[in-house]
Amino acid sequence: MFYEQNFNDYRLDKYNYINNNYNQPLYEENSNSKKLYDPYQGFIRGNMFPSLYNGYNVKALDINPSSEQARMLTTLSALDFAAHDIHLYLDLHPEDKDMLALFNSYKNEANNMRDKYEEKYGPILVSSKETNKYPWSWNKSPWPWERGN
Amino acid sequence: MWLYSKKLQYPVNIKKKNLKMAKYLMSQYAGPDSEMSAALRYLNQRYTMPDDKGKSLLTDIGTEELAHLEIIASMIFGLMKDATIEEIKEAGLGGYFAEHDSGLFPVNPEGVPFTTAYIETTGDFIADIESDMAAEQRARAVYEHLMDLTNDEDILRPLAFLRQREIIHYQRFKELRNYYLDNKIQKNT
Repeated sequence: MFYEQNFNDYRLDKYNYINNNYNQPLYEENSNSKKLYDPYQGFIRGNMFPSLYNGYNVKALDINPSSEQARMLTTLSALDFAAHDIHLYLDLHPEDKDMLALFNSYKNEANNMRDKYEEKYGPILVSSKETNKYPWSWNKSPWPWERGN
Repeated sequence: MWLYSKKLQYPVNIKKKNLKMAKYLMSQYAGPDSEMSAALRYLNQRYTMPDDKGKSLLTDIGTEELAHLEIIASMIFGLMKDATIEEIKEAGLGGYFAEHDSGLFPVNPEGVPFTTAYIETTGDFIADIESDMAAEQRARAVYEHLMDLTNDEDILRPLAFLRQREIIHYQRFKELRNYYLDNKIQKNT
């Protein structure tokens, strides 16, 4: 089987993995690291904070978008994700100016990207200006569970 | 209130049906440590958090868990698509099929229905946050077991993403707990 043959190419040995600390809760006293992943690298890891990253026994796997729509959606989702992970941090550290600036920069980039995406492929939010247009496009397929990447 | 965003938080692109993995993933759809339990746990507990840090964090993580529930549902839906009756029976999903066909229904892989007994709310914010920290650790362990059960990258990718979110959520809950203990935050301040 294809996946069997390539198993060791991307899956690290569970018992020799150098950061094999998944049985110990990963926790950092001051998670105010200013060196975060960029949105895409954070997105494929599910984590913007390098000091908190633990990959279990799987390397960070690239997303391979199969169309222009999927590529735009990946970029948008990565920006949304970057803003969201910093958002959770800011809930607990509301006076961190640098992080707030970073949040705002990713949030604005995400909103610009969303506008571009919606113009081409239809609304993601019902508040999009695409819903001004005739005919009503919100109900158009594909729905998220049908889309693939 | 909530607003719907018509996309997944992380893409799901299942190319190969896999009835057994669909069944196993039900543990994260509606098992004790599932995304459904997590979302309901935090969204119920947030009302009795003592300050803005707690109210915002539980609202925001609870909301993210709803997005995770949608990712798991999309994976189960994709893995079961176009299954034959023989494949369904072979994967041990005959009983599920009899009652739900390929509809999404909140049970664990053994068919145990979701129960609110999985979610905890004590009204005591320290007890609740410590239970949330434990819940994130249990969910992380379940994701590792699920990752052990497959080599399919299309399944591993979202599972690795979701597992990592448990690590981040644990970090934030622990930060919140330590902040409350260090600053001797009392109820209703």
